[in-house]
Amino acid sequence: MKIARLLAVGMALAMSLSLSGAFAQGKVTVKILAGQSTTDAGIENYITDAVAAKYPDIQLDWEVVGWGTDFSAKIQEYMKSGMPDMLVGKGQDIATFASRNILGDISGKPYLKNVVDAAVGSGSYKGKAYGVVYNALYQGVYYNRKLFKDNNIAIPRTQAELQTVIAKLKSLGITPFETHFVDTWSIGNITMQFMINDVFSKTPDWADQFRSGKVSYATSPLAKAVYGYNKLIYDNTWKDETFSLQQTNADGRLVQGKAAMKVSGSWSIQNFLDVDPNFDFGIFPFPNQAGNSKLIFEPNITFMKSAATKQSDAIDKILSVITTDKALGQKIFDQTKTASTIKGMGPSFKNPSQKDIEAYVSKGLLVDANSGNLQLVWGGFQDENAKDIAAWLQGSETLDQALKAADSRKAASKP
Amino acid sequence: MRKSSLARRTELEFASLMIPGLFLFSVGVIVPMLLGFYYSLTSWDGFTKDLPWAGLSNYAKMLADANAVSAWLFTLKFTVLNTVIQNALSLAFAVVLDGNLRGKKVYRTILFVPCLIAPIVAGYIWLRMYSDVLPALNALLGTKINFRLFGSGDTVLPGLLIVNQWQWVGYWMLIYVAGLQSIPVELYEAARVDGASRTRQFLRITLPMLAPAITICVVGITVGSLRVYDLMVSSTSGGPGRSSTSIIYQIYNTAIAGRQYGYGSAMSMTLIFVLLVVAVIQLGALRRREVQL
Amino acid sequence: MSDERKEPRRRMRPADIIVQALMTLIAAVVALPILEVVNLSLKTKRELYVGDPLALPLRLAWENYGIAFERLRLGTAFLNTLLYTTISVAVTAILASAAAWAIARNKGRLFRLSYLYFVLGILIPYQALFIPIYVMGYSLHLINTVFGIVFMYVAVGMSFCVFLMASFMTQVPLELEESARIDGCSVYRIFFSIVLPLLKPAIATLVILQAFGTWNDFLMASLFVSDTKLKTMTVFLRYLFSTTSQDYTTAMAAIVILFVPIMTLFAALQKYFIKGMTVGALKG
Repeated sequence: MKIARLLAVGMALAMSLSLSGAFAQGKVTVKILAGQSTTDAGIENYITDAVAAKYPDIQLDWEVVGWGTDFSAKIQEYMKSGMPDMLVGKGQDIATFASRNILGDISGKPYLKNVVDAAVGSGSYKGKAYGVVYNALYQGVYYNRKLFKDNNIAIPRTQAELQTVIAKLKSLGITPFETHFVDTWSIGNITMQFMINDVFSKTPDWADQFRSGKVSYATSPLAKAVYGYNKLIYDNTWKDETFSLQQTNADGRLVQGKAAMKVSGSWSIQNFLDVDPNFDFGIFPFPNQAGNSKLIFEPNITFMKSAATKQSDAIDKILSVITTDKALGQKIFDQTKTASTIKGMGPSFKNPSQKDIEAYVSKGLLVDANSGNLQLVWGGFQDENAKDIAAWLQGSETLDQALKAADSRKAASKP
Repeated sequence: MRKSSLARRTELEFASLMIPGLFLFSVGVIVPMLLGFYYSLTSWDGFTKDLPWAGLSNYAKMLADANAVSAWLFTLKFTVLNTVIQNALSLAFAVVLDGNLRGKKVYRTILFVPCLIAPIVAGYIWLRMYSDVLPALNALLGTKINFRLFGSGDTVLPGLLIVNQWQWVGYWMLIYVAGLQSIPVELYEAARVDGASRTRQFLRITLPMLAPAITICVVGITVGSLRVYDLMVSSTSGGPGRSSTSIIYQIYNTAIAGRQYGYGSAMSMTLIFVLLVVAVIQLGALRRREVQL
Repeated sequence: MSDERKEPRRRMRPADIIVQALMTLIAAVVALPILEVVNLSLKTKRELYVGDPLALPLRLAWENYGIAFERLRLGTAFLNTLLYTTISVAVTAILASAAAWAIARNKGRLFRLSYLYFVLGILIPYQALFIPIYVMGYSLHLINTVFGIVFMYVAVGMSFCVFLMASFMTQVPLELEESARIDGCSVYRIFFSIVLPLLKPAIATLVILQAFGTWNDFLMASLFVSDTKLKTMTVFLRYLFSTTSQDYTTAMAAIVILFVPIMTLFAALQKYFIKGMTVGALKG
């Protein structure tokens, strides 16, 4: 009987699965919850293999979810039902989780010496270290360097200069901005970049003032200007296509020189180099009203120890592997196309935007993305605002409605 | 006396066969429904130990919440249009492919295959079709059809409806085909002898005899449309803006991302209520028609 | 597909030719997206991002499948989906048959009410209950366990399957059962040795309908399994389209891998599939 055979196959599979669990006896199992994005997909397997090579008795049990979609919801559930041993998230999670007392203190651990100083700071909260920050993303305007050079276009520092660049590109028949607003998160991301350079750089506690009712989106000229940048970009991109065109194809056009600039982050590099490994691109901060905007630095993959874990020693061993295994590091940085924050480690590929980054770093024009991300939460606030911006750009809401909608979500804005 | 105790024992044995199913169904469906109803009367954020009582305020809040109202409107528009179009198309294809066409089995199979694809996958596929593949077809044929249907709030509904027809017409078509094949040929022969036209045959024989199939398809499509979710997750993410946010999608956003379990539950309860009411009304009306005919 | 009424083949009229041409066109349009996915799954990233989507791959990039299997361990997701589908469908088939048989053989109030209770559930979609299901899943520690996800699939499938099996019960002749009962067989023995084998065609129908729904399910899987070892194919796919980036070529390969088994099952059991689908539906 077919059914019986199917059943038997299913049972056999179930048995083998539970057997593989039985073999794990005598080993230490470390449960890890990771919030990732697709650029990082698969690095958990590299880490598992690297740890297994050095410590065969430590078994890693991964639960990988989308950082932007499910990570914080998962954590909230686990806070009720019991936390996993380790968390892997972004730098901004440190403050959020440490303030809720769910992270274990790792101050003074030897492996922290392998982390560059700035990143140790990003992994700390109120003077105690809670996380190993493994890599960094940079956010700003990625541009086609060859195209800028060939047409004698200078990097804009002010809004007026940006207007000149846009006009020049248009006269050349080149679309100034590459966008893919079909991904609402991309609207949310660029809006936060604008907020960081125009609002939070001036008024670091703007969000608290917002929550206490002192300022609002609808009445703040700066917030209005930030929303206006979205319109500026929308007016200077492929308007008919941006709400359909997928990121991969949009990025392809930037590489091909059909568009000149993209407000984005390091995650785009993977796509650029997939299209053309020799693509020459740079990065500059999106010009703000004051003309003093900074390149945004975001501590990205961050390994954290849970406060409640019973596997503290095993986790220390894992973290020491992660911060010393150069082959592992190279694999991860090469795949994610990101900059390392671990001493003596780095990718083997050439990142053409690195020289721009170094120039901004030496001029002190670097700002931590946490100056915004720790003020306004992503899920339920930033992402919802982005939907209103999309509706406004498409003409189904007015600017005033979109701004007021943000005000109406005040209660949900705190991380 | 002995016999009745034996019968009683047999009945108990039968009941014990039913109990595992009843238990699972109760724990997995009925208990969550009762819990959901309870949550809907609280302002729980899913996080605290206590569930603050809120009475019916969540339901009142929903009526004043522009996003919830627009999600309902979208869902209802999608449901009405989808039910009408999908039934009409399925029936039309069934009639054509039950007729005298060469290779009709091949056509039927091709039309049917898309429903084997997971709805979430259908969304990914069509996102690509609309943004890239079909515009390339435009270039090939020298036409200027606007295929970027997911790109604007005005065209996203037609865009999703097309995807949904692509996926499900073949499925419902087969039910209509089965219905058609169960109609006795003699009825048509008699009508032909009476000189009835094709249209008349269709209206007087085919449609009435198809009543049971129509009932199934109408109710099935309506109920399926009211709970549409997977399709948007992968294609439009409810956008542009919020223009394709269905009610389940809105519940997900409200509850999981927005941490408002109580309020989200209130929306769920109204959805279940609407589903039950619609199904009962439709079944009642269609069954009455079946009896009359 | 299903049995046809024999009609004498007529000569094709002009109208028939138009219909034939139209149907061919429609079939081509319907098939296009599926063929396109296969096409895209064999392209390199560069071709996919900047090339003509209608062009055939310059060379067949089988490495997309390799990446899916090796780097992302798609094989695990594939086996998981297979495991959850087979176990939950098998359990559902046995429990739903048992319940439906008990209901069909007893006229008592308890049984009639139970039937009504089950059938009511058909109209309650689990999609509307995911909040309490999610909360219960955590508090009962069912999240990220094989038991949990199988339990939920069985629970939400139960009401439709009882309804489906009940509509097939007339196919089981009473005589056999009665003679077995006279021989002193228990109800359980009769069920397993007589009724269940007789229900084979009905069970085939149930298996197909449930397998197909479970295999393609996304929402329940996304709520219940996020542990990398336990993920299903649809959850895995979703993960390839996360915030900030998409791994398109791998995703296309994964879609093909997801589709092939269900297509094979369909091709092998086509007859049952269509018969079951229509019988189940028309009897309702």
